[in-house]
Amino acid sequence: MNAFGLAPLLLIFPVIGVLFNGLVGRKFVEADREIGEKWTGWFGTIMAFSAFAVAVSLFFSLQANGHHAEVVHLFDWINIPSAGFHVPWAMRIDTLSVTMMLVVTGVGSLIHIYAIGYMHGDKDFSRFFAYLNLFLFFMLILVSGSSYLMLFVGWEGVGLCSFLLIGFWFSFVDKNGVWKNANAARKAFVVNRIGDFGIVLAVILTFWAFGSLEFDVVFETALEMFKSKEPLLLFGQEVAFGSVVTAITALFLLGATGKSAQIPLYVWLPDAMAGPTPVSALIHAATMVTSGIYLIVRSNTLFEMARLSVGSELLFGVISTPDLVALVGASTALLAGLIAFTQFDIKGVLAYSTVSQLGFMIAAVGMGAYVAGMFHLMMHAFFKALLFMSAGSVIHGMEHGHHHLHDHDDDDFDPQDMRTMGGLRNRMNITSVVYIIGALALAGIVPLAGFWSKDEILAHASANDGGIFTAVYVMLVIAAISTAFYMGRQLKMVFFGEPRHAAAAHAEESSNLMTYPLIALAALAIVGGLANLPHFAAEHGAEAGGFSYLALEHWLEHSLHAFELTEEHVLHMPHTPIQIQWSVAIISTILAVGSISLAFFVIYKDTSKANSAPDPLQKTPIWWTSVLPLNTLYMDYFIPAFNRMAKWVAISLDWVFWHDFVHNRLVRDMFVTFAAFTSSVLDQKGVDGIVNGVASTTRRLSGFLRQTESGYVRSYALSIFMGAVLLVIYFMFATAG
Amino acid sequence: MESNQFNVILTLLVFFPLIGALLILFLKQMGHESDELVKRVATAVSAIALGIAVIVLFMFDKNIPGLQLVDKGDWIPLWGISYYLGVDGLSILMLLLTGFISLLAIISSWKTITEQVPQYYAFMLLLQAGMTGVFLAQDLFLFYVFWEFTLIPMYFLIGIWGGQQRVYASIKFFLYTMAGSLLMLLGILYIGTTADTFSLTALIAGREAFADVQNWLFLGFAIAFAIKVPVFPFHSWLPDAHTQAPTAGSIVLAGVLLKMGTYGFLRFNIPLFPQAAIKYAPMIAVLAIIGIIYGAIVSFAQTDMKKLVAYSSISHLGFVMLGIFSLNEAGIEGAILQGVNHGLSTGALFFAVGLIYERRHTREMKEFGGIWRAMPLYSVLTLIVVLSSMGLPGLNGFVGEFTILLGSMGSPVLGPVFTAFATTGVILAAVYLLWMFQRVFMGPLDNPKNMILEKISKRELFIMLAFLIFIFWIGIAPSGYFGLMDSTVASLVQSIGLP
Repeated sequence: MNAFGLAPLLLIFPVIGVLFNGLVGRKFVEADREIGEKWTGWFGTIMAFSAFAVAVSLFFSLQANGHHAEVVHLFDWINIPSAGFHVPWAMRIDTLSVTMMLVVTGVGSLIHIYAIGYMHGDKDFSRFFAYLNLFLFFMLILVSGSSYLMLFVGWEGVGLCSFLLIGFWFSFVDKNGVWKNANAARKAFVVNRIGDFGIVLAVILTFWAFGSLEFDVVFETALEMFKSKEPLLLFGQEVAFGSVVTAITALFLLGATGKSAQIPLYVWLPDAMAGPTPVSALIHAATMVTSGIYLIVRSNTLFEMARLSVGSELLFGVISTPDLVALVGASTALLAGLIAFTQFDIKGVLAYSTVSQLGFMIAAVGMGAYVAGMFHLMMHAFFKALLFMSAGSVIHGMEHGHHHLHDHDDDDFDPQDMRTMGGLRNRMNITSVVYIIGALALAGIVPLAGFWSKDEILAHASANDGGIFTAVYVMLVIAAISTAFYMGRQLKMVFFGEPRHAAAAHAEESSNLMTYPLIALAALAIVGGLANLPHFAAEHGAEAGGFSYLALEHWLEHSLHAFELTEEHVLHMPHTPIQIQWSVAIISTILAVGSISLAFFVIYKDTSKANSAPDPLQKTPIWWTSVLPLNTLYMDYFIPAFNRMAKWVAISLDWVFWHDFVHNRLVRDMFVTFAAFTSSVLDQKGVDGIVNGVASTTRRLSGFLRQTESGYVRSYALSIFMGAVLLVIYFMFATAG
Repeated sequence: MESNQFNVILTLLVFFPLIGALLILFLKQMGHESDELVKRVATAVSAIALGIAVIVLFMFDKNIPGLQLVDKGDWIPLWGISYYLGVDGLSILMLLLTGFISLLAIISSWKTITEQVPQYYAFMLLLQAGMTGVFLAQDLFLFYVFWEFTLIPMYFLIGIWGGQQRVYASIKFFLYTMAGSLLMLLGILYIGTTADTFSLTALIAGREAFADVQNWLFLGFAIAFAIKVPVFPFHSWLPDAHTQAPTAGSIVLAGVLLKMGTYGFLRFNIPLFPQAAIKYAPMIAVLAIIGIIYGAIVSFAQTDMKKLVAYSSISHLGFVMLGIFSLNEAGIEGAILQGVNHGLSTGALFFAVGLIYERRHTREMKEFGGIWRAMPLYSVLTLIVVLSSMGLPGLNGFVGEFTILLGSMGSPVLGPVFTAFATTGVILAAVYLLWMFQRVFMGPLDNPKNMILEKISKRELFIMLAFLIFIFWIGIAPSGYFGLMDSTVASLVQSIGLP
């Protein structure tokens, strides 16, 4: 008995939620605030939970049928028989997609509950839940699509939801009169579109190279071509297979840098924090931003084939795409980890931290550590969603505290500024405990979730030889140290010491609707590592003492054909250690603990004075923010230049020159001159010419008319038509006058 | 000589709106001064014409690649001119689009047109008749008659019911397109007199007769069509016409009239002069790509919403042209569908802009902001239209654009470099469309004039929803649409004779 037939429900439940909240939700809320919020909020949440239930049933179905991938065909989408192009709406249920579904709907459901509490009192309460459900819908299309084109539907769809949710409070204007939220929303969409440019080209190239967009067919065809070692006949010329697969994977990488916020396109994610906090947790930490990782993991065979490219098939003749992926990921992890030091906004730290952690995942999949990348993706979903939502709880608490103050004269009060916090562990017990759990998990403190997943990535990097792996290993270790440092700094600033602002002293714990999901996520952040524990001893066996080690690896292997092909010696994936690397684990643990301690030691030693004293890091010139100031480059140079160019093209070139000068002056004046000339020539010819002209015209016209008397009905019809036109024109002037 | 055939349905489709136009004017002559009656008659006539087009759709057999439902008879036999109507996969969607857009344009005018009402609706119906004729005519002479005829009602629609500079805009529109058509007329006369027939089917069969001068003939036709599309750099008339035309005029202009240009390339240039088409394809594709990028950049710098949408047409039609001159099945089918998509999306955008113009009598974007707060339903509907125009997957624009890009990469005459440049249009579309959306709908609602905006009316809602049904339908299940044109396009591509 399997439940694959239920798969469409995965998409239908969220759609019902969108329709309900989008069409009638507002009326409910307007009729009665309390009851309306309950109805609309819980309706959306139940739809999310229902989707989760479907995902769980698919999980068991896969277990029952031996992890065999199933494709559920829905209906035809684009079908052009003569071009041989056929893409249906179909869902691919395999271990990889189900893993993603479980994360998306599981974490998503918890965030829905939290949002009921968090969005309480917002005038657009129901609109928010409609968007959340819409996001689930597109995210599930993304992970369940059976073809690259369907993946792209979800890919762009979640981008849309991201736009809508970042701009949820679109009326907000900051102190300088800037439409901060609306701008952030637009920036996110446009930057993502730059990545999508790569995806579109990659998908089209995939079709012409492999004749299909269905994952199954693409990978199989690619493999046959790879094995045959023959060049491809593509666009009328012979192209080396390695070049084609390098181009496709490189374009995928461009897409991934957009969606998963990597160098050079990461610049939208920090701004995206303008959205409500549940959005930051769900979309900009746990799920959507991991799409790039999913895309690469899904295309694992293509990337592994690209890894074996040589010579001129390489990217710019020097580097293979997977190596580039690993370097992009590692340098993003490092850069963003360093930038996170400098943030004072509680969500700003988490935002750069997310960029950094996504870098870890990208680096992992670039190194061929697909399982480790997915493992970190899941663990990160747990603890980063936890951190963001706890941060939301802190912000709520601070706002409450601020409300309680009798003097509201400081309008500049920013409830997200960590410099105004401090000592909150005494005011917000649950929040502080779960936050600390999340922070330690992120910092990689044993035995929390983040330790295991991060360690697996580092172990993979250290276990392989070669320049790329060493470089990636060094960068990731430094990034891991900085992770521990900025989280230590944040814990210290927010929860420890004395309150530095009256609002912090009066902060209140949030409601149960918000804290219960946090507790659930904290539990996952503690025990999540069990999903893929490495072997601790030399003897290998899938199970030892009733416990399955590397469960995730064995589960995902069924969808990662690169593993199987490596065993068959068709591909050569980098070595993946299955046993714990004690040296790596111990070093990284020591560094993490040391780093957190250092942060506690450095930041606000004397907390009583911290309120007035500036942050020590603020004084020092922060060289690392200028390592790669991409945002500055784009915002201060590229965009103004584009705007000036567009203005010049539109006003000077198109309007003043082409429209006014060439057409309205040059062409018209020439025409007028010409007309004057011809009329004067006619004048000279005098009346004679006109008379002659009339006579000959009449002759010709009568000849024409004779021919029209052909006796056929339709020619009369046409004459009537012409007559009618004349009549109409006559009436026009007759009646207008 | 081809035999005459008699099938009245297409003739009915062309002439029914014309009869309606006459009826309206006679009503006025007979003293029925009620504008209300005129509106009802015009709407009913246009709706019935759309109904006839739907009947044609049901009679249409998509498996036949050639012409169907042919109505053919001699007109001026001495010169080989015939009255020849027929429909195939290239035109069936255009017929439906014409009927659909015309009807919605007429309904959209109910409240906005208050002066010289009978004449206005008479011209709208005449326009519908002329455009239908253009898509059905299979005789070059007859085609030319319909082609030029569409200019007349459009000229008056802009010139009488347009904005401040309506006279200037209408004359420019008329002269510019007329001038282009003259070269086509020369071409038509040359072909017709050489071959002693103006029948397109006969001419295609005997196209070897003028193969040696086909480059010149191709260019003659191409310039006429390129001005109509408009292909960069022949676009200078478009912003004037659009900014001055009444809303309904813009809807029809963007929705259908521009498609007459792209249709002309498919109907005449490619089958009549295939060698020239192959030769010029890369050049036209370059112009198309310049149009995609140039239109988008110029669009972005506009401050007037309607002008922004007008320039975006240049960008979108660039995609259509790129698809046509991919000269393969995917490219051409994508182009035909994208023609329909552009009619729906841009028509809806012009309607949305007109809707707010009626309330505020300005289209300057800086006058707006936060409209979402004032008119939430209208804003959501407009957002969907904007997304469709941006090519969001799941909506219609994506299907067309993607298929065109797919075709252009696999094209025997173009290739990946063309596709790569054209795809930048995907980024730029997000830049200018989201800029407009943000500036008008997001941000604070701080202009008091915008706070009291009247909500969207039922009639306006109906029009928007009518557009949206097809925007979603084509986005989610376009196979049926491709199915209508597949066999015709396949045989067209085969006749080009590329490997």
